[in-house]
Amino acid sequence: MALVFGAALTTAVLAFGLVRRHHPFAEPTLPAPPKAGLDVPKPRVLTFTRAIAHWSTVLRPVNARAEPDESARVVTRLMQTTPEETTNLVIVLRTVVVAGTAWSNVRLPILPNNSTAWVPRASLGPTNVVDTHLVVDRAALRATLYRHGRAVFSAAVGIGTPRAPTPAGEFYIRDRLTSYHDPFYGPIAFGTSARSPVLTDWPAGGYVGIHGTDQPSLLPGRVSHGCIRMKNADILKLAKLLPIGTPLTIT
Amino acid sequence: MNTHDAPFEPDLRIVDADGALAETLSRTPMTRTGMLKAGAGVGAAAVALIAADRADAFATSDVSILNYALTLEYLQASFYTEAERVGALRGRAQHAARVLGAVERAHVAALQKALGAAAVARPRFDFQGTTEDGQKFLKTAVAFEDLAVAAYKGQAPLIKSDGLLAAAISIHSVEARHAAWMRHLFGIIPAASAFDRPESRARIVRVVASTHFIAARPKTTGKGAPHYTG
Repeated sequence: MALVFGAALTTAVLAFGLVRRHHPFAEPTLPAPPKAGLDVPKPRVLTFTRAIAHWSTVLRPVNARAEPDESARVVTRLMQTTPEETTNLVIVLRTVVVAGTAWSNVRLPILPNNSTAWVPRASLGPTNVVDTHLVVDRAALRATLYRHGRAVFSAAVGIGTPRAPTPAGEFYIRDRLTSYHDPFYGPIAFGTSARSPVLTDWPAGGYVGIHGTDQPSLLPGRVSHGCIRMKNADILKLAKLLPIGTPLTIT
Repeated sequence: MNTHDAPFEPDLRIVDADGALAETLSRTPMTRTGMLKAGAGVGAAAVALIAADRADAFATSDVSILNYALTLEYLQASFYTEAERVGALRGRAQHAARVLGAVERAHVAALQKALGAAAVARPRFDFQGTTEDGQKFLKTAVAFEDLAVAAYKGQAPLIKSDGLLAAAISIHSVEARHAAWMRHLFGIIPAASAFDRPESRARIVRVVASTHFIAARPKTTGKGAPHYTG
């Protein structure tokens, strides 16, 4: 009897051992998983989700129309390049779908200033967003750059004389020029979509620029042909903060 | 809900101006077998230095795979971030863009940190309005997530470093969750198949190249003389 009991006990112990050895969660010999080789940071949602403005490049010459309709009046023809031979771009105010075609309402770099019109969305390049807004106050003779609504730059400026005034309205920064070696324009010049309403025969159409100067003693003042001048140190500082496509409000 | 469960192939009409993405994606790494045959013997060193944040801690083939993954993560992160910034989406699509954008940006940051100076540059993307329309957004999101899942699965067996493999698997499962989520929102079965098929880099390159999601960088800086009114 004792022998039988002993044999049964031995069998039970062996069986338990087998079970233990094959239990996947009891296996003592599996190594720990390797440490992950990438340090993946915690996901962070965007702090600022809504951009100040959207802009797109003009992919091909296209008629800008008064309404989102192929038969609507042509306001102007948008080209792919600017007079400075940079890529032409427009601020996109909104996009709607009409009869299956997406149309974008865009701000135009034409006279009369503050013009807008509609182009097929397909004629525009990718959507770009900016969080900046440049405001030029003609009464205060001051330019202020806002980012997410907070002022990040401010400087005294020179604007147009009463005979060649800097136009008021809603515009945008279209391009920037560097390395041109013309002291009159300072080290950097930004092109805008604003045009002089009086100097219509000015070379390349009389677009209003924002640039430095070789006569800083004239600033602030009403001294230019319509351009917005600032001291060279200021334009260099602004150049580090001002993305292309930034809306420009001149009050 | 239909039963479509295959990876999407976006058929959007977009111009691939410079082929940068396809070029980046198609840089073929040496396989693990190839490296062993070549006697590279850098696997142990790669494991030992896995915590380092420089690409020279990794085998050459692993750097290539990391850059391949980084390019796909750029594609996804840019897509969701643009969708959120444009602000045209509403409801569940808008919420998904916000959540997935944060995750994909974290993936980008991790890969950039690991690669250091060896990281490929972010291409410029043109999503052709797919970030501005809810249905187009979801369809493209399904395509991107399915592609990412297949791509990670395809590269995992080729990774030499155990630590990188562990990280890749961790990211892969997150991408799979994204894929299921986007499929659900788009109205297709999230997980209809019993076995997910890995895709080769060549296949992924073909699919991505067919979308032409790469855009030329606009020339916004000139060097000519200004003609502004002065």
